[in-house]
Amino acid sequence: MSEQQFGDMRTEYGKSLIEIGEQDQNVVVLGADTTDSLKTAGFGKKFPERFFNVGIAEANLVSIAAGLAYSGKTSFASTYAIFLPGRCVDQIRNAIAYPSREDKKGLNVKLVTSHGGITVGADGGSHQQLEDIAIMRAIPNMRVLIPADSVSVSKLTWVIAQEYGPFYMRMARSKTPIVHSESQQFEIGKSITLRDGSDCTIAATGTTVKLALDAADSLKQEGISCRVIDSFSIKPIDVESLEKAARDTGSIVTCEEHNIMGGFGSAVAEVISELYPVPIRRIGVRDKFGESARDNEIPQLLEKHGITSINITNTVKEIRSKK
Amino acid sequence: MGLNYYKIKRNVLKARKLVIQGTSAAGSGHPGGSFSMAEILGCIFYKHLKYDPKNPTWEERDKFILSKGHASPGLFSNMAVAGYFDTSQMKTLRQFGSKLQGHPDLKCPGVEFCGGSLGIGLSYSIGNALAAKLDGKDQMIYTVMGDGESDEGQVWEAAMAAAKYKVDNMTVILDRNFIQQDSYTEKIMPLDEELVGDDLTDMWKDASRWKTGDKWRSFGWNVIDVDGHRIEQISNAINKANQTKGIPSIIIARTIKGKGVEHMEDNPQWHGKAPKPEFVPIIEQELESQFMIAPSIIAGDMSNLEKEVRRCEEGRADYIHLDVMDGQFVPNTTFDHTKIKELRPHTVIPFDTHLMINDPVKHVGDYIDAGSDIITVHAEVCDESSFGEISDMLESNQVGIGLAINPDTELPEWSYKFIPLLDQIIIMSVVPGKSGQKYILSTHEKTQRIIKQLHENHFEGYIEADGGVNLDNIGACFEDGARAFVGGSAIIGQSDVRLIIKEFRNQVLHSRRQLLIKKAHNLGGIELVNQWIDLHVVGKKKDSLVQIAKELGFQ
Repeated sequence: MSEQQFGDMRTEYGKSLIEIGEQDQNVVVLGADTTDSLKTAGFGKKFPERFFNVGIAEANLVSIAAGLAYSGKTSFASTYAIFLPGRCVDQIRNAIAYPSREDKKGLNVKLVTSHGGITVGADGGSHQQLEDIAIMRAIPNMRVLIPADSVSVSKLTWVIAQEYGPFYMRMARSKTPIVHSESQQFEIGKSITLRDGSDCTIAATGTTVKLALDAADSLKQEGISCRVIDSFSIKPIDVESLEKAARDTGSIVTCEEHNIMGGFGSAVAEVISELYPVPIRRIGVRDKFGESARDNEIPQLLEKHGITSINITNTVKEIRSKK
Repeated sequence: MGLNYYKIKRNVLKARKLVIQGTSAAGSGHPGGSFSMAEILGCIFYKHLKYDPKNPTWEERDKFILSKGHASPGLFSNMAVAGYFDTSQMKTLRQFGSKLQGHPDLKCPGVEFCGGSLGIGLSYSIGNALAAKLDGKDQMIYTVMGDGESDEGQVWEAAMAAAKYKVDNMTVILDRNFIQQDSYTEKIMPLDEELVGDDLTDMWKDASRWKTGDKWRSFGWNVIDVDGHRIEQISNAINKANQTKGIPSIIIARTIKGKGVEHMEDNPQWHGKAPKPEFVPIIEQELESQFMIAPSIIAGDMSNLEKEVRRCEEGRADYIHLDVMDGQFVPNTTFDHTKIKELRPHTVIPFDTHLMINDPVKHVGDYIDAGSDIITVHAEVCDESSFGEISDMLESNQVGIGLAINPDTELPEWSYKFIPLLDQIIIMSVVPGKSGQKYILSTHEKTQRIIKQLHENHFEGYIEADGGVNLDNIGACFEDGARAFVGGSAIIGQSDVRLIIKEFRNQVLHSRRQLLIKKAHNLGGIELVNQWIDLHVVGKKKDSLVQIAKELGFQ
């Protein structure tokens, strides 16, 4: 096995924005005093007239982005995940997602955040966004993406730049293991099956995709064949693949760095319970807040909340006995 | 180019009536905040905003953003008057399936912002203004905000951002009506200073206590204070704001919530309540009975007309009536257009120019150029062709169109076709030529008779009573149907112009209250009269109404 490669999501985001900005004069980028961190400052250097750093004023950030979008711009508004969906749900709902005219549903604003989930670590529970999927997927016209690695970020940034309408995309703070090849294609509303299997499906999103792969590898050694799905598109969700997974494998384990209430696991459960009910187990933060952990302690923090490949492995074994 | 004063005024009235019809039909909505901004929207829609109602998404249009979205009836009514949709649609306001949603919505073509959640519109406007700059468009963004809305922290985030980005292609108007949903703004969250007690009157009047402008100035804005019901002040401020480059501009328009309907004025209850259908005809009559006081400055010191203009300004006259006499049409001579041009920079109050001259068609251009806001010519010296020419010139220059008749003249046959275009008709109640004459009593009967004729011919303007009008007869003139009142020696001849104008107004107000009580009685007897009176809870209005009802035998 080759050595695991890591990639930085934010760096890829910043690079992609510059490439997109070179091709599309209509793209504008907005930040809220976190532009170095989000790596959007490079766009600002290259295209200063299309870059707006509004200071620590997130409500203003998303509403100015909405105004620019109404006048025909493609707005990318970025800051930390903790400060966008939760702090600005009203502005996102009423100024971005709600305004619709004819076939244009919502305004053309891309909300791209970093520091999602508990792997934020040291900054502590106040900075660990664990509710964003629930908040954003409850808003009509809003589409929700959680890329698993830096390759996904780079590709998805292009996809959302070209697809009209509001998007929420959450990145992680730390460098993340690369799980996709450079040639991987990404389509909104589709998932990517990374391992095929017949005994159980592990559907994961964001940084937990890597944990799912590790769990599947370890289960394979025990003779259990798992299908692993990267559900980067949480809304719209890939109904077809999920239903097929339920039929083919008879059980589903979901993984996310998010509260299991209203998050990705809930979204999967909604689909499966309606279309082809099979046992489901949701791995994620169980209705709690996070806490500080230095980088080398993040595995301990994840372990405390059961977001580990070992817990996935155990859960798959447990759920198979319920089939 | 003129102020378009009369067109604005006419459309503001239409819009106010539509607000009443719409909210009444819906059984809910926000008339109070729609009325406080009525003149502001009038100036924007009928003077400054660049738009095409037949092509609402026209790329080069200006954008109007109503940040205080709950005042949507005020927006929709103006969009209807401007021609975005038929006025009859106002009755679908807030109904299931209507594009006229409870708050402004892109579902309605021409609406540029989904308002409703407060505090967002300014940021959104900045976004639109920045986009216009990026695209190199000569485009203005006009934004109307509320004072209650200013409690929202985001407003001040946006205030900082607009200054940083030097957003000068956006003009913001703050509808400072001093009332929010729960009570007076200065009780809930003061912008000027905390209100102790329940009487806002002193604070409203005392400019030294207003601090809202200072807040905006300290954020780096150009601030312009105006009376938000004075079309000429608002329009002048918009011009100044639009011309100010390098910093953002806000016009702080001091307004009265519910303006135009006495029982709604300054009454927090009317923030979000609709009038009951039985009151609608009375309210419409009240709206149609707005009135203007126009001092005639030739009754003053002819050697110092600048001073007389200042006195009118201090006295808060609605217009300044300028009697131009040529020594031919009338024996006397006063001044001509050169004098008007000299006076123009001294005030923004509309100039109500009354040409008592021969051959007006030859001279009207000079009087337009001099800065008149309405020009009234005499029927005796016009015919169909010359008046047609005059009317075209005035209309294309956005100057009001007036026609006057002498005491011994009737409206000529040829004038009938122009009646729908006329902004003003002067029925002279003295023989024109000099100031200080007595009112000719038969003018009452004549005015009443002519008004009937006018209504049959779709007249939308105002009757101006001119000649011998004083405190004793102004009420009767109002009852005849006059709505503008020229006061010569009775106003300008007095030492305290402000006081006398106030007395004139109170006298007309009294007559108007009588008129409305009679209307209530006609519609629903004493019961409706009492219900009407009971609506008037603010100040001492109710006492006066009870007294009037008693005098009329309705109590």
